[in-house]
Amino acid sequence: MFCPQCGANNADNASQCTQCGRMLQASAQPGIQPAVNVPNYLVFAILATVLCCLPAGIPAIIYAAQVNGRLQSGDVAGAQLASKNAKMWCWISVGVGLLFGVVWALLVAVRIMSHHTT
Amino acid sequence: MTLPSQNRPCFLLAILVGATALVALRLFDPATAGVFPPCPLRELTGWYCPGCGSLRALHQLLHANFRAAFAFNPLAVISLPFLAYGGASYTSFQIRGRYLPKCFVPAFWIWTLFAAILIFGIARNLPMRPFNLLAPGAVLHL
Repeated sequence: MFCPQCGANNADNASQCTQCGRMLQASAQPGIQPAVNVPNYLVFAILATVLCCLPAGIPAIIYAAQVNGRLQSGDVAGAQLASKNAKMWCWISVGVGLLFGVVWALLVAVRIMSHHTT
Repeated sequence: MTLPSQNRPCFLLAILVGATALVALRLFDPATAGVFPPCPLRELTGWYCPGCGSLRALHQLLHANFRAAFAFNPLAVISLPFLAYGGASYTSFQIRGRYLPKCFVPAFWIWTLFAAILIFGIARNLPMRPFNLLAPGAVLHL
């Protein structure tokens, strides 16, 4: 089963989440909250799209919407797949951002060097 | 930022990067100082992306100029409280092992947000009023 707090995959008979320590059996009973919580990385995706100027954040937002949409229709497996993709695109945007930052820093360094030598 | 496991090195790195960025953004204006990397999309295509102007907006926010911050990127300013809550929740998870209370966002609202970001990104590139007022800082030159 998946921990309602952190989304970690635990054994079905586990009484406590191995990752965050939340009690699992009590929350596994049908209750107020949706039974499972699949992380959708929405905050990460918005951060990548709006604050880092990275177009790779766009697919991350699409997958975040899919996670919640599939959870609403009860498709937990589909939601977990979308969650995986959302996470992947978040990391792609971080990678692209870092790569661009490094390339840009190198270009600036080269420009400064050539200024000094000429 | 919700990473589903407690990860001290990653957390400390995030704090360090975040703090450095805030100090740099307070000290240097991205509009004039060449300290910050430009937007990849803008650099490659010349188009504004939905995030263009967000660094300049943050710089203005750190100097309490809300109007200028809004002029550079309203989307970034509006999304900041949500991002801050996400960051606080992540911090709480790293320190206490539990996230802050989280509400389930219906998919409809995420699709709405997605549409808003796309429309904003397209509109600010259109060369006529009122759309071009959405370009970073355009309102300041009225």
